[in-house]
Amino acid sequence: MYFAGIDIGSTMTKAVLVDTGGRVVSAVKGPTGPEHRRLANEVMRMALDQATLRLEDIAYVVATGYGRLNVPFADRQITELTCHARGVFSQFSDVRTAIDIGGQDAKCMKIHEGRMVDFAMNDKCAAGTGRFLEVIAGTLGIRLEDMGGMSLKSAKKVQIASFCTIFAQQEVIARLSEGEKVEDILAGLHDALASRVAALARRLKVEPDVVLTGGVARNAGMVKAMKDNLGCELLVPEDPLLTGALGAALLARERATEAAARGETVAAKARRMEKATFFK
Amino acid sequence: MAKNATGLDRAREIYQDRSRRARELKAEGRKIIGYPCAYVPVEIITALDLVPYRIYADIEEPVTEADRALPAAFCPVMRSCLDCALKGKDDFLDGVVATHSCDPQEKTARVWESHTGYPYFHFIDIPGTIRPEAVEYYEGQLSDFKKTLEIFAGRKLSQARLKEAVQLHNQQRSLVRALYELTKPEPPLISGTEILQVIKSLLSLPVAEGNALISQAIDEVKARRNGPGKKPARLLTWGATMDDADIMDIFEAGANVVMDESCGGIRPFRTDVKLTQDPLNGLSRYYLKDISCARTFREAALGETTKNYAADIESRFGYLKAIVRDWKVNGAILILVRFCDPFAFEVPSLRDYFDSFGLPSTYVEYDYTKGSLAPLRTRVEAFLETIIR
Amino acid sequence: MVTEQKKKTISRLKTMYSLRNKVDESYKKGLEAMKAGKPTVWGMLNAYFGDPVLKAMDVEVVYPENYGAALAASGVAQKYLDCADADGFPTHLCGYSRANLGYAARMMKELEGEIPPEAPMGGMPKPLFLMGSTIICDARYKWFQALGRYMDVPVWTFESPIPGVKERFMEGSYERMIELGVKNLKEFVAFCERLLGRKMDWGKLDETVDLMIEINRVWHDINEMRKARPCPVHSRDFWSAMPPALFLMGELKDTLQCYRNMYDEVKDRVNRRAGAVEEERYRLMFAELPPWHSLGFFDRLAERGWNFVIESYGYHPPRPVDLSGVKDPLERITRFSLEVFVGFYKSALEDNVSAASFAYPLMGYARDWKCDGALLHPLISCRSASTHLPYVASLLMERLKVPSLTVEGDIVDLRLFDPEAAMAKAEPFEETMEHYKRIRKQEGLDW
Repeated sequence: MYFAGIDIGSTMTKAVLVDTGGRVVSAVKGPTGPEHRRLANEVMRMALDQATLRLEDIAYVVATGYGRLNVPFADRQITELTCHARGVFSQFSDVRTAIDIGGQDAKCMKIHEGRMVDFAMNDKCAAGTGRFLEVIAGTLGIRLEDMGGMSLKSAKKVQIASFCTIFAQQEVIARLSEGEKVEDILAGLHDALASRVAALARRLKVEPDVVLTGGVARNAGMVKAMKDNLGCELLVPEDPLLTGALGAALLARERATEAAARGETVAAKARRMEKATFFK
Repeated sequence: MAKNATGLDRAREIYQDRSRRARELKAEGRKIIGYPCAYVPVEIITALDLVPYRIYADIEEPVTEADRALPAAFCPVMRSCLDCALKGKDDFLDGVVATHSCDPQEKTARVWESHTGYPYFHFIDIPGTIRPEAVEYYEGQLSDFKKTLEIFAGRKLSQARLKEAVQLHNQQRSLVRALYELTKPEPPLISGTEILQVIKSLLSLPVAEGNALISQAIDEVKARRNGPGKKPARLLTWGATMDDADIMDIFEAGANVVMDESCGGIRPFRTDVKLTQDPLNGLSRYYLKDISCARTFREAALGETTKNYAADIESRFGYLKAIVRDWKVNGAILILVRFCDPFAFEVPSLRDYFDSFGLPSTYVEYDYTKGSLAPLRTRVEAFLETIIR
Repeated sequence: MVTEQKKKTISRLKTMYSLRNKVDESYKKGLEAMKAGKPTVWGMLNAYFGDPVLKAMDVEVVYPENYGAALAASGVAQKYLDCADADGFPTHLCGYSRANLGYAARMMKELEGEIPPEAPMGGMPKPLFLMGSTIICDARYKWFQALGRYMDVPVWTFESPIPGVKERFMEGSYERMIELGVKNLKEFVAFCERLLGRKMDWGKLDETVDLMIEINRVWHDINEMRKARPCPVHSRDFWSAMPPALFLMGELKDTLQCYRNMYDEVKDRVNRRAGAVEEERYRLMFAELPPWHSLGFFDRLAERGWNFVIESYGYHPPRPVDLSGVKDPLERITRFSLEVFVGFYKSALEDNVSAASFAYPLMGYARDWKCDGALLHPLISCRSASTHLPYVASLLMERLKVPSLTVEGDIVDLRLFDPEAAMAKAEPFEETMEHYKRIRKQEGLDW
């Protein structure tokens, strides 16, 4: 038997399939697409193909992320907070604090004995998310994936004080015209984003082990900036984008197992792999 | 729309079109007095044969007119109230009574008064503490309010009439408390959404009609079989105002809301006004001391010269512990609109208090627009995921 | 001989410095008191209610809201804001309150009562009690109540009535306000006596109150002289010189003498027609809280001939009232203080303006100090000092044809005030002011 987790984020959709032992049998990432959430079924199909499985082989599907509410083939929706926490715990058994910085939000989760017990989120202000770096990358004509490495070359970071992404762009241009080095400005930008996320995390009283996930965790400059701002070590999973879907898949397995133990059969849904729809 | 809808159906009807009854009454020659806050003594309005009408904000109405008088960084509820007033949406009102309940209301009231042309407008000052001299001063404020309303109504208010009004409104309070008794069972017999609709409706009706409405609702709820389903969590919601059923729906997607400590819930109805020789005494004591709104400064003992945090929060929030126990609440959601200062200052202390007896709680904020409800959903769901196994 | 080209900046009053120094001295006094084991009190702006009582009982008072400005200017505020944030205080709350809550958390939780080493000006010692009030904003008393999380110290909350304009004139209303104040003060004196373990010296209180009234009378008269053209005293001097009068700082007889000296200096300037700026091209009003950390901004405007002749009502001394017939010092305090809250209500009633909340007095100021424009400075985390500003702008324009320029800032996040952007707006605003000068002439107004 297999269990599926699908994480429909604003930029990327991720799907993970696990077996009865909780081992990952396939993991796939694809763009959510400009039409938002409509390609979730495509990503799911890719995950099934990768494991040479069919939808009927999946005993339970958990959907998470922004698009979780309208996935016709999901058995249950669980918030990305709980799913990320579970996914992180499966990879780092001593985790107490998980921080996820995505393209459009930042989340912090307090984990106690593997369960999420508290959380804090920012999904209102772009300046505290990956979008902040993306916008500035555009302004500087640098590739987003190069920003982190470049920032690490800095010996003296330039403070970027604007708390608004739009004004930060202006500030960056002003600093450049004053002759500041690109890597120093980048270091300042990473520090600015890290300080905002760290402030969010501190509402939960940061305790080790601290794990960083999300697309932004692939940015070595951000990992350093987060360490500096939090004043502690950080663990980063091999694929920081997959924690949500992994957690969702593991929770799917748990739910199905619990149901079976109670003698219930998971409502055999006539699942059809339909496109997700917009919520009303 | 069924003219003879009763109880819950009538409440749902009125909820969709709140001012309908007030407009009917106005056409019949009655005078309608609007008020935006639970601190206004409606008994005085009722006793002078005027119809009190609770003004609510409107989450569906985008704010446009209020921009010229109030900045965006401002309590969105009061801003919306002013916006609706400036747009003439409450043109059926013959007057408005506002209070110094909190800064936003105090500031909005001034602009409200100067930018609209109601025949009657009165501002009641409310002191910040419940010291004896504050209660005295407040009684003077109520007496002044009574005077100007008498002039407007064209008649003097007798103590007998005022006593009657106090009793009628107390009856309403007791009926709302009876309604909340119906959420004690597991599952509750009535949902938080339904109660919100009932309360919002009864506050748009004259008190006797409102009382009839709740009585019908109570009978219906007791008799019906299709009440809310049992959900894995029983919640207490706490905040300043709660006026939109869509927000309740978000909470009740995964839980039963068994108590709402807000002005759209139990707060204006929790205890009765004491009937005193001079009814103004009882009214001033009730309105200043017994409404559990964060705007009033309370301490464990007046003028205390020693302080103990645990005793302080027990004295301020103790009534909630009894609610949690009696309604078997297993989680609390503190929900505020952005820029609500008096309640926002209380959040960490209230959460400390809940922690002290092991009640999980979470704080969520929204900006009083429909768009802010989606993030609210995620936070509420995540909270439920932490407390439900 | 080469003559240096002198920069046209603000001509500061010589007598301002001794008054300004009293602010720093009062912090020092607070720390000295702590070292001597004497009690200090954290106070809020209380419009002359509690300050004379504590002064008469020799208790040092420090004001966290003033200290907030020091925290902001020194850059330490952010650390405390982060603390408050981490402790769950919603981020829209007053910046001063969050900075102070964070300071208290650091001092009491992390350092077990010791003053944080990074705190500017030697910090603020743990107080004997907190003296709050309900003046102007809810934060004033909810903030002190919230401090209970970190310090088990008693909190006193003063009442500050704020009736409606027409409601104030109902029969008996004013008398009831006085009764409220007097009784409130009586209880406060008893409260202080219990906490301090000694009795009030009523003779000393009498004297203190008289000094307070006289100091503010002189200070009021100084500000009246700013109606002169050109205006002899710039807002920068007002802000520097106002705290001793507003918060009763220093040894009061000496403070009184300092204001008397200032009166003489200003009178002299008026006689010589000497203005605070070299060429007074525009007379400006400022509302409400200035950007304390960037006051040099006004010097740049002074170079363009902008003279700031009047500012926030809330900082100004009340109009003098003859209280010589009032025996009870508590009643004298109350009547004096009520002048601040409702003294302008009669004019507001006559002018048919119901917006109290210090919006109406600014209209009076613009008219009586003959302002060409108003510089309005909304602060993102101080709504009390900001929310009436759109209303003020429209009031000034409607009634007096005086235009306003809005420049945003904040009380603790100083990055929000951009002097360059503000200067860029100054030039076009000069044209606006010129335009409305002409309009006012047409409408028959005399400035």
